[in-house]
Amino acid sequence: MQVFNWLFKVPSGTAAVTAKDRMRTMLVHDRLELPAGRLEVLEEELTAVVARYFDLEPDTTRFDLQQMDRQAALIANFRLVRSKC
Amino acid sequence: MSGRVIVITSGKGGVGKTTASANIGVALANTGASVCLVDMDIGLRNLDILMGLENRVVYNLVDVVEERCKLRQALVKDKKMPNLNLLPAAQTRDKTAVNAEQMKKLCEELKSMFDFVLVDSPAGIESGFENACAGAEEAIVITTPEMSAVRDADRIIGLLEARKDEITQYRLVLNRIRPKMVANSDMMGVEDVLEILSIKLLGAVPEDEEIIISTNKGEPVAGTDNTKSGLAFRNIARRLRGEEVPFMDMDAKSDTWVTRIVNFFNPVRV
Repeated sequence: MQVFNWLFKVPSGTAAVTAKDRMRTMLVHDRLELPAGRLEVLEEELTAVVARYFDLEPDTTRFDLQQMDRQAALIANFRLVRSKC
Repeated sequence: MSGRVIVITSGKGGVGKTTASANIGVALANTGASVCLVDMDIGLRNLDILMGLENRVVYNLVDVVEERCKLRQALVKDKKMPNLNLLPAAQTRDKTAVNAEQMKKLCEELKSMFDFVLVDSPAGIESGFENACAGAEEAIVITTPEMSAVRDADRIIGLLEARKDEITQYRLVLNRIRPKMVANSDMMGVEDVLEILSIKLLGAVPEDEEIIISTNKGEPVAGTDNTKSGLAFRNIARRLRGEEVPFMDMDAKSDTWVTRIVNFFNPVRV
């Protein structure tokens, strides 16, 4: 695989890729006018709500703010162990 | 006649708005269309320099709006093409010298005289930008592949979206692309920027020293043959006229022995 990457120069961690990743995150926040830290608060609160109904697999919850065309989508992923009631 | 009013805008300064305006104007006029370039950067007049017309400016846009002269008296004809005209900005006033209503009225009048009215917007998102957009039905967003320019372009796109009722179409011109840096993945390429901004492409213009030379001469590159940037601007003009023109192939091609062999047998198209 390394030989393959070397031969075909698969870009990762390059300046262009870094710029694109930073841009994506920045623009999603810009477009939503989302203040720094706000999303983290929401994630904590959402996790607490879900945790009232389900036992969650520890340290597996994932939140991801994605760009879909010019709109943003919040993708939340909870791994559920069992229902609480 | 009812022409098209197109505002050329970017948010960030220094990405090539005025250069693009001059060149798209020249290229459109070359196709036979009648064109009026409107310099809306009031107080920071530059379009006349790029066109090599700075010595012919008598009246300006503010003189027209404040009725010190007739519109026709303020229009400066291009040296080579009589179907290309410039309405210069005032150099001594500021952005508050005109308002949106006056701009709308002016665009209406220009529309009845020309096939294309290209409005060169000032940088920023304040009143100067608002006024430049006031009479427009279409927009061209200019950016370079730099992060700060792309961010500002995104802001402008947001503002154009908010004017959807008036500005029905907007497309991107990606300026100053350095194909080698893109190929080495040192810089974002056309595809990257389009994906980030979710916008349609009108044209991609490579970085070209000829632009500096042509600015110094006061003869936009679009009017001369044999320059890559001039060809890019001529393609943009043809696309504006509704022609399907394939995009220049400038995007990332990995530089390996395999691609070198392939490229050896398939010389890179420009």
